[in-house]
Amino acid sequence: MNHVELQLTLSPDYTDILMAELAELGYESFVETDEGLHAYILEEDFDETQLISLLAKYQAFSAIGHSWKTLERVNWNEEWERSYEPIEVGEAVRVRALFHAPDERFKYELLITPKMSFGTGHHETTWLVMNEQLSLPHQNLDVLDVGCGTGILAILARKLGAKRLLAFDIDEWAVENTRENFSLNSITDSLAEVFQGTITDVQPELRFGGILANINRNILLNEIKTYVQHLLPGGWLVVSGFYETDAPDIIQCTEKEGLIFERMNTRNQWATVVFKS
Amino acid sequence: MAKEITGYVKLQVKGGQANPSPPIGPALGSKGLNIMEFCKQFNGRTQDKMGMVLPVVITYYKDKSFDFVIKTPPAAILLMEATKLKKGSAQPNRTKVSSVTWDQVRQITETKMPDLNCFTVDAGMKMIAGTARSMGITVTGKAPWEENN
Repeated sequence: MNHVELQLTLSPDYTDILMAELAELGYESFVETDEGLHAYILEEDFDETQLISLLAKYQAFSAIGHSWKTLERVNWNEEWERSYEPIEVGEAVRVRALFHAPDERFKYELLITPKMSFGTGHHETTWLVMNEQLSLPHQNLDVLDVGCGTGILAILARKLGAKRLLAFDIDEWAVENTRENFSLNSITDSLAEVFQGTITDVQPELRFGGILANINRNILLNEIKTYVQHLLPGGWLVVSGFYETDAPDIIQCTEKEGLIFERMNTRNQWATVVFKS
Repeated sequence: MAKEITGYVKLQVKGGQANPSPPIGPALGSKGLNIMEFCKQFNGRTQDKMGMVLPVVITYYKDKSFDFVIKTPPAAILLMEATKLKKGSAQPNRTKVSSVTWDQVRQITETKMPDLNCFTVDAGMKMIAGTARSMGITVTGKAPWEENN
């Protein structure tokens, strides 16, 4: 997923206007510069003909120069990743990188090399979900990890006894990274599967004893119904990735699908909710 | 003791759609900040403004931590939104028109008033209407200051 960087030189009077117009064309983010504006779009969405036609609309009133280049995707997060601190969850779990020394006081040590994927335990939501996992049954369960990032939650699920792991993410780097982290944690069997996609790509007949979904409010509200369809009777669902102010909507939506609210925990206003079927 | 500020980064990002690609990736990554943490926080706080361009000012500190403030969208973005008429709750699709009303201009002005370089709402409305005209958007009806004429 490379991006195109569009560089515009233009009068400050037109910066906001061009930003609004480019946002309509699918440009995702912008930086104002001394000369004008830089705008960013996925390479596959970049359409130069459309761009030139848009610029022509304003070039009648003001001089606008443009150039663009493709930016290769690289690991921009490398600097943070090469010196991150280990994270402890309760007395049993420690998440660390390869460059940290092992600590035998912890029953479960997870090795995570994130490579610009989400999930090291530093964020409240990852920590909260892992903390919930410690008190949920995993032994011999099939577990689904929705939006797996680094694969950290699936890895903990396996260490807690889960049998089959199915993890997916929409981001290709996250999928590759989950595979790497599975391998780092000696999860190399055929029962641990990772793919690029969304919940609609999970075979409809598959059922899981546990589902983990640390995403965001809007995606959860759209997809909870489908998660419930994949949950075995007596199974559990853990959702996170939203603030506690959004929790009532999530709880209402999930209860409407027939699950039972079990408990909610928060950390720095982020929430995690556990449901049972 | 207050944390020592190292600098600021100003970006414009669509609500709910922050990702580690450029410009966020290189802007934050080069300073050793955890990009994934920023994206999760920004997206979490902007779920109700999905897809709307939002200015964000990130303050970063010597200890590699950061915090950020999300500002109101630029007037041009709000004008563009105002041109998308909702066709009733049964039809979520939106139809784009090329005009806004003076009431909509007033609403946008009131939202943007703290950032506008003017003292009265009427003066602000004139500025917003000027931006609309530059975008080819017509303001329909009579301006409030014309109503008594």
